Amino acid sequence: MEVTMDPLFLAWSYFRRRKLQQCSDICTKILQDNPYDQAAWSLKTRALTEMVYIDEVEVDQEGIAEMMLDESSIAQVARPGTSLRLPGTSQGGGPTPAVRPVTQSGRPITGFVRPSTQSGRPGTMEQAIKTPRTASTARPVTSASGRFIRLGTVSVHESASMLTNPDGPFINLSRLNLAKYSQKPSLSRTLFEFIFHHENDVKNALDLAAQATEHAQFKDWWWKVQLGKCYYRLGLYREAEKQFRSALNHQAVVDTYLYLAKVYQRLDQPITALSLFKQGLDQFPGEVTLLTGIARIHEEMNNIASATEYYKDVLKQDNTHVEAIACIGSNHFYTDQPEIALRFYRRLLQMGVYNCQLYNNLGLCCFYAQQYDMTLSSFERAMALVSSDEEQADVWYNIGQVAVGIGDLALAYQCFKLALAFNNDHAEAYNNLAVLELRKGRIEQSKAFLQTAASLAPHMYEPHFNLSILYEKIGDLQNSYTAAQKSEDAFPEHVDTQQLLKQLRQHFAVL
Amino acid sequence: MSLFKARDWWSAALGEGEEFDQGCICVGDVDNSGTGHDKVVVGSYMGMLRIFFPHTGKSSEPGQGAAEAQLLEVQLQNAIIQVEVGKFVSCSELLHLAVLHPRKLSVYSVSGTAGNVEHGDQYQLKLVYEHNLQRTACNMTYGTFGGVTGHHSLCIQSMDGMLMFFEQDSYSFGRFLPGFLLPGPLIYNPRTDSFLTVSSARQLESYKYETLAVATEAESRQDPDMPLKTGGKRLMPDWTLVLGEQALDLSIPSFSHSSSSIFVLGERNFYCLRDNGMIRFMKKLEFNPSCFLPYASVIDGATNLLLGNHTNMLLVYQDVTLKWAAQLPFVPVAVRVANFPDLKGVVVSLSSDGHLLCSYMGTDPSFFSMPKVDAREADYEQVDAEMKKLQRFIREATKTQDILPQTDAEEDLTVTAIVSPIMDDPSQALITDINGLPVHSVTVQVKVKASCIVQSSKLTVGVQPPLAVTQDQFVLEPMGVGSSTVVAFSAFLNGRYPPADLTGDITLSYNSPTGVPRVLQARFSLPLALVSVPASPTKTTKFKITVDTNQPPVDLNSIFPEFSAKSEDKDGNSLAFQFLSGAKVTVLASKTSQRYRIQSDSFEDMWLVVKELVQRFDLHFPKLGVKDFKKSFSGPIPLQEYFLSVDHHFQLRVSAQQYQDLLSERAVQFRAIQRRLLTRFKDKTPAPLQNLDTLLDATYSQVMALAEAAEENRALLEEAFVRLRSATHLLVLLMTLWQGLTPDQSAILEATLLPLLQDTPQLGWEESCDAAVSHLLRSCLSRSPKDQATSLAQAGGPVLGLPRDTARLKKHITLMCDRIGKGGRLTLASEANVQVPAQVQNLAAPGGVETIAEVTGDGEEPDLPPETTKFIKKKQPSKKVKKDKDSKEKKEVSKEPSESSVKEEAGGAGETVKEAKKEKKESSKEKKESKSSKEPKDEAKKESKKESSSTSSSSKEKKESSKEKKKDKEKEGKETGKESGDKKVAKKSSVKVKEKKKETEAAEA
Repeated sequence: MEVTMDPLFLAWSYFRRRKLQQCSDICTKILQDNPYDQAAWSLKTRALTEMVYIDEVEVDQEGIAEMMLDESSIAQVARPGTSLRLPGTSQGGGPTPAVRPVTQSGRPITGFVRPSTQSGRPGTMEQAIKTPRTASTARPVTSASGRFIRLGTVSVHESASMLTNPDGPFINLSRLNLAKYSQKPSLSRTLFEFIFHHENDVKNALDLAAQATEHAQFKDWWWKVQLGKCYYRLGLYREAEKQFRSALNHQAVVDTYLYLAKVYQRLDQPITALSLFKQGLDQFPGEVTLLTGIARIHEEMNNIASATEYYKDVLKQDNTHVEAIACIGSNHFYTDQPEIALRFYRRLLQMGVYNCQLYNNLGLCCFYAQQYDMTLSSFERAMALVSSDEEQADVWYNIGQVAVGIGDLALAYQCFKLALAFNNDHAEAYNNLAVLELRKGRIEQSKAFLQTAASLAPHMYEPHFNLSILYEKIGDLQNSYTAAQKSEDAFPEHVDTQQLLKQLRQHFAVL
Repeated sequence: MSLFKARDWWSAALGEGEEFDQGCICVGDVDNSGTGHDKVVVGSYMGMLRIFFPHTGKSSEPGQGAAEAQLLEVQLQNAIIQVEVGKFVSCSELLHLAVLHPRKLSVYSVSGTAGNVEHGDQYQLKLVYEHNLQRTACNMTYGTFGGVTGHHSLCIQSMDGMLMFFEQDSYSFGRFLPGFLLPGPLIYNPRTDSFLTVSSARQLESYKYETLAVATEAESRQDPDMPLKTGGKRLMPDWTLVLGEQALDLSIPSFSHSSSSIFVLGERNFYCLRDNGMIRFMKKLEFNPSCFLPYASVIDGATNLLLGNHTNMLLVYQDVTLKWAAQLPFVPVAVRVANFPDLKGVVVSLSSDGHLLCSYMGTDPSFFSMPKVDAREADYEQVDAEMKKLQRFIREATKTQDILPQTDAEEDLTVTAIVSPIMDDPSQALITDINGLPVHSVTVQVKVKASCIVQSSKLTVGVQPPLAVTQDQFVLEPMGVGSSTVVAFSAFLNGRYPPADLTGDITLSYNSPTGVPRVLQARFSLPLALVSVPASPTKTTKFKITVDTNQPPVDLNSIFPEFSAKSEDKDGNSLAFQFLSGAKVTVLASKTSQRYRIQSDSFEDMWLVVKELVQRFDLHFPKLGVKDFKKSFSGPIPLQEYFLSVDHHFQLRVSAQQYQDLLSERAVQFRAIQRRLLTRFKDKTPAPLQNLDTLLDATYSQVMALAEAAEENRALLEEAFVRLRSATHLLVLLMTLWQGLTPDQSAILEATLLPLLQDTPQLGWEESCDAAVSHLLRSCLSRSPKDQATSLAQAGGPVLGLPRDTARLKKHITLMCDRIGKGGRLTLASEANVQVPAQVQNLAAPGGVETIAEVTGDGEEPDLPPETTKFIKKKQPSKKVKKDKDSKEKKEVSKEPSESSVKEEAGGAGETVKEAKKEKKESSKEKKESKSSKEPKDEAKKESKKESSSTSSSSKEKKESSKEKKKDKEKEGKETGKESGDKKVAKKSSVKVKEKKKETEAAEA
C-alpha cells in the first residue's frame, strides 16, 4: 500500500496545503542529504516565513519611543479636520461625549479593537505611560520593535529545534552574501521575506532590497514596495513615501495603496491618505480593505456619520466583515438605537464570533432594548468567557449599570466594587461608586472616589463635573469652580457644566 | 465567519489515512454515457483511483449512499498526483482519463455495461497507453496545443522545471523553463496558444507554444543553466507580470463571454488578468485561500468565483463582491462544479484527508453550539439564604477593609516618644566641644505599637537645625497585631549657635491592611540641658526681661533641678545658663516682689530660657495647688533689640543676593572667555591665545572664591534666621504675657510673625511677615479709616520680593504692637467682611471661614464639621441635593465608557419624556434652592458684619467711606512712605558700599 513519492514533491504539496511544519521537516531532511539543494532551501525558507507571517499593513503600533522621540516637527496647531492628533470637534454631527464615551485622546470609542485603535499621540510622557483602559490592547507598547522581535525569536527557536545541528538559526544572516542572492530573482524574494518577517532584521532586508532593485534596473514595483516597507519600519517616512509612489507608477496594486496611506497616517496627513484611498478605489472599485481604511480614518477624525457610511459600503461588498458590523453596531448603540445594534451583534454571534465582549454588548443592548430576559444570561455568558481581569471588570461594571437602571443600588454598589477589585484603575467605576456613596451621604468617600476617577481618567468629564457639584453643595466654591473648568475642558459643549460655571461666576460677582 | 453552512447533498469519506491534493479530483462524463451527467474521479497519493456518480437514492444513509454511488475503485501501483478527463486518444472523440503518477503517465478508458438490476451496472478501467517519465512529474495541463482541433495534447511539468509535451501516445519534445527553482501551477491558454506559470521569481510568465517548440531541445544540454551551444533559440517568456507572491492556482475559464480572463489565485490576493497580462481587477484576501474555481455568471461580463479558504469557508464572489459565504466542515484542497441527474451545479469539494462533499448553497444556518454556562438550578430559598449570608459577610468586611474605610476613632498605630532624662555617655555629637564645653547628646526612644497588621511603615524624624539626630529615617519591620517596635536615636547640637526650637517631629507613614496610605505624627521636646550648661550668674548684661507673677517667688533650684548643681547661690534666687554657643543667660528671682528677671548679653538666646521658665511655672504652680496663677510682662516690648536681629538677617540676605549677582556676572564672563578660547582652538590656523588662558584661570578662581563666600554667607544666614526665629518667638511670648492674649490670639500672632519655617532666596521672612502684619493691620487691627489709610498706604505689589529695606516692616510691627497694646484683638471672625489683600491671595475665595484660616497660614485643612453641620442644618436642601445627584447620576451612568457600554434612559419613550420633565422640575428646584441657599449666606454675612462692627467699629465706616477719599489718602501715605524710605536707603547705601569692597577683596584673594 505504501507508495514512494519524491520528498520534494511531498514537501511542495504540504506547503500548498499549509502544513508548514511537515513541509519544513521534510526540507530539513533533504538539506541534510544535500545541503546545496536550492529548491529545498527555498521551500523551507518560505515555510518558516509563512509560519510567522503577519500582514504588514495591519501591523501598526507606535511604540512609546516613536511617539515621544519623534523629531519631525509637524504644525502644532493644525487646522481643524486636517489632523489626527487633535481630537477635533465632530463634524458629522456625531454623538457627543455625553452619549458616547471617548478615549484618552478625545475620540469616540470605536466598536472594534484593532492594533491602532489607541493611536493619537499622547501629549506628555506621563500621559503616554498612563494607560487608557478602555481597550484591552491599549497598553502602550514599549517599542514597536519589541513585539516583532519577540515573534521573531520564538520562531527562530523553533527552527533551531528543527535542525539536526541545533547550534544556530536556519540562515545565518551575517554570513550571507546578499549581493549574490540579489542577482537571483528566483531566490531573492523568498530570502527577503524571510529576513523581513522571520528574522525581523530590517537593515539586512533593506540591503537586500536595495541591491535587488538595482539589479532589476529599478523597474520592479515589488522591490520598491519592499524598500518602502523597510523604510517605514526604520521610521524614514518620506523615503518610504517616495518608494511607494514610484511603485504605484509601475503597477497599481492594492497593498501599495494601503502601505502608502499608512505612511500618510503616520505623517498625520489624513486628508492625503483619504484622497489616496479614493484613487485606489478608482483603480480597484469596491476593494474592501480600501473602504475600511477610509472608514477608519473618518472614525479617528471623529466624523462618525461618514465612517458609518463607508462601513456600510464595506458591508455591501463583503457582508461578513466583522469590523464593519461591530462598528455600525456600536454606532447604533450610541445613537440610541439599541434594538438595531442588537441585530448587528446578533448577526456577529450567528457568524460565530464568540467572545466576552460580544456577550457584554449583547447584554447591554438587550437591557436598553427592554429585552430583560436576555440581559442577565448574556452577562452570565460573558462572565464565563472572560479571559482577563480587565474584561471581567468591564462586565461587572456593566452589570452595575444595569443594576442602577433597575434601581437595585445595593447590587450596583457591589458590582462597581467588584469591577474595582478586578481592575484597580477603572475610572468609570470609581465615578459611579462615588455617586452611590454620595447618595448614602458619605461625602468624604464620595469625594475621594471622584478625585481618584478624575486623576485616573482626566479625559472623562463626569468625575470633574460630579466633583464640581459636590464641592458646590458643600460650599467650597473655589474648588467647585476649578473642577467645573476641568469638566469644561473635557467636554466644552456640556450644558450642565456651563450652567454651573455661570452660576459660580454669579456667586463670585456677588461676593 | 458565516451565517450559513453549505447544505450537504451527498458526501463520502475516502479511504483511511490517504492523502489528496489539488490535482486529485476531476469532474467529467468520463464513461462517455452521453447523458451529460458528470462523474467524479478521485485519485489519492496512495494510488487509489475511485469514480463516483453521486445521486440521492432511496436509502439516504450516508454510508450506503457512498457505496451505491461508487462506480469503480482501483488500486494502482503508483501514487496518483493528478487526474484529468479529456480526448487523449487519437481518432477518438471519446473522453479518456489521464492519470499522472510521479514517474508515469497513463491514459485509461472507462466504460460501463448496464446490468439487469439497478445496482448491477459494471464499470471497467482499460489502459490505453502509458509513458514512463525520465523526471519526477509535478503537475500537468492539457489542451489543443498548436491549434489542433479534435483532440487534446498533454504537457507535464517536472519537479526540476522541464515541460514535457505528449501528443496522444507519442512524446513530442521537452523544454526547460529558464530560471527555474520550484514548480508553480501550469495552465494552457487556448486563446493565445501559450502556457502560463508562476515561477519562483514570483512572476506570472507566459510562453508561446511556438516559442517552446523552436527552442533548444532539452535533452541536448545537460545543465539547464548553461548557455546553449547549438541550434534553437533561447527560451524567453512572451510576457511576464510581477505578482510578488506565489500562486496557488491558475485558471482560464473557457465560457464565451469572459473571453479574455486569466484568474490567478495568489497566497494573499487574487487577480483577474487580460490575455496580455494587464490586471483587470484584483482583490486583497484577508484570509489564507486554499483553492478556487471560476465559473460562468448569470450576469454578462462578470465572472463568478468559488473560493475555499483555510478557515473552512466556501466563498462565492461575483468579480470582487462577496455574494455568499458558506461554512464547510473541512478545508477544501480542490473544488469543482458538476451536474448530476438530480441536481445541477453541485459544488464538489475535496479535503486533504479524503472527505468528498457534494453540496449546494442553502440557508441552513451554520449552527454554532454554544457551550453551556453552568447555571445552577435556582433553588430560591437556598439562594436567598446564601445571599443573606454573603450580604452579612460583605457588611462586616466593608467595616474593616473597604477601599476607603471610614475614619475610625481608634488608630492602627500609636507612637510614643520618650526622651531619656539623662544625657548619653559617651556623647554621640559630631562636634565634640564648643568653646571648651562638651556637647551632649540625648537618646530619644520611639515606641510604635500596632493594633492591626501594618506593613511597610517608615518613620522619619525631623528636628530644627542646628540640632541633628544620629539617624533620621527608619524602615520598620512588618508588625502583627499588638506587637510593638522601639527605635532609638540620639539628638544633639550640630552647630555653633543655639536652636530656636527644642521640639522635634516624628512622622510615621504606613499602609493600612487595605492598602490605604496613612500618616501619623508625634512630637517630642528635648531638654534644655542639651544645649546649655549651668554657669555662675552674671550681674551686668545688655538685655533684661522682667516677668511678673501673682504668686510669691519660688526657689529657682526647685524649678530647674538639673541646673542647680553648680549654682553657688543657695537661696535659689539666681540661676545661670551657659549656652554651648557662648551666650550666658541669668535668671534672677526677686526676693521681695513677685518678679523674675531674665538677663543676657544676647537677646535671642533668652528665648529658650524664658520659654522653659514659663512652661515650668505653668507646671509648677498647679502642683502646689495654686489655681489662679498669672504671669505677665509689664513691657515695654523690647522692639529695638528685636529689630537688631531683623536687620542682621536682612543684611545677610542682601549680601546673599549680591553674591549671587556677582557669581552670575563672573559666570557669564567665564563662559564668554571659554567661547573665545573655543573659537581659537577650532580655528584651522592657530592664533595666539593673547593671555585668554590666564584670564580664564583668574575668572575661575574668582568664581570659586565667590562661591565659597556665598556658601559661608548662606551658613551665616541660616544661623541668623534661627536667631531671628528665637527672637520672634520671644517677642510673641512677651506680647502674649504683656496683653494676656488667649492661646488662639497668640497662635494668630505667631502665624503672622513667623509665616515661614525656612528662608529661601525667592521668598524670605521679611516680605512674607510684612504682608501678614499689614494684613492684620488692615483687617482686625484697623481702628479707623484714617489709621487704615496710613497703614495701607504702602500696599505691596502682587509679587512678594526682597524689600529694599526693613523700615516699613519695622514700622508695621511697631504699629501692630501699638495696636495690640491699645487693646486690639486678634480675631479671624471679623475678617470675613474685610477684603483680603491682593498679594496674599490672588484668587480670593470669598466667604467661608476656612479659606481665611488658610490665608493666615494655620496650615490646617478646612474644618470638616462645619460642612457636615451645614448639611444637617439644611435638611431640606440636602435632600434635594440627593435627588439632584440622582438625576445626575443617571445621566452620568449613561455616559460611562467601557468598550461596549451604555446609553441609559431605561424606560420607553413615555418614560423618557417623564424623566425629562422630572429633570426640568428638578433643575428649577435646584435654581430655587440655590437662591434659598444664597439667602442664608447673605444673612450670615450680615451677622458677621454686625459682629465685626461691634468689635472693631471700623468695618462699617470703611464701607461707607467713599473710594475717592481712600485713594487720596493712599496717595498721601505713599508719598510719606517713600520719603521715609529714601532716607533709610541713604543710610543703607553706605553699608552696601562697604560690603562690596569686602566682596571684591574676597574675589581678588
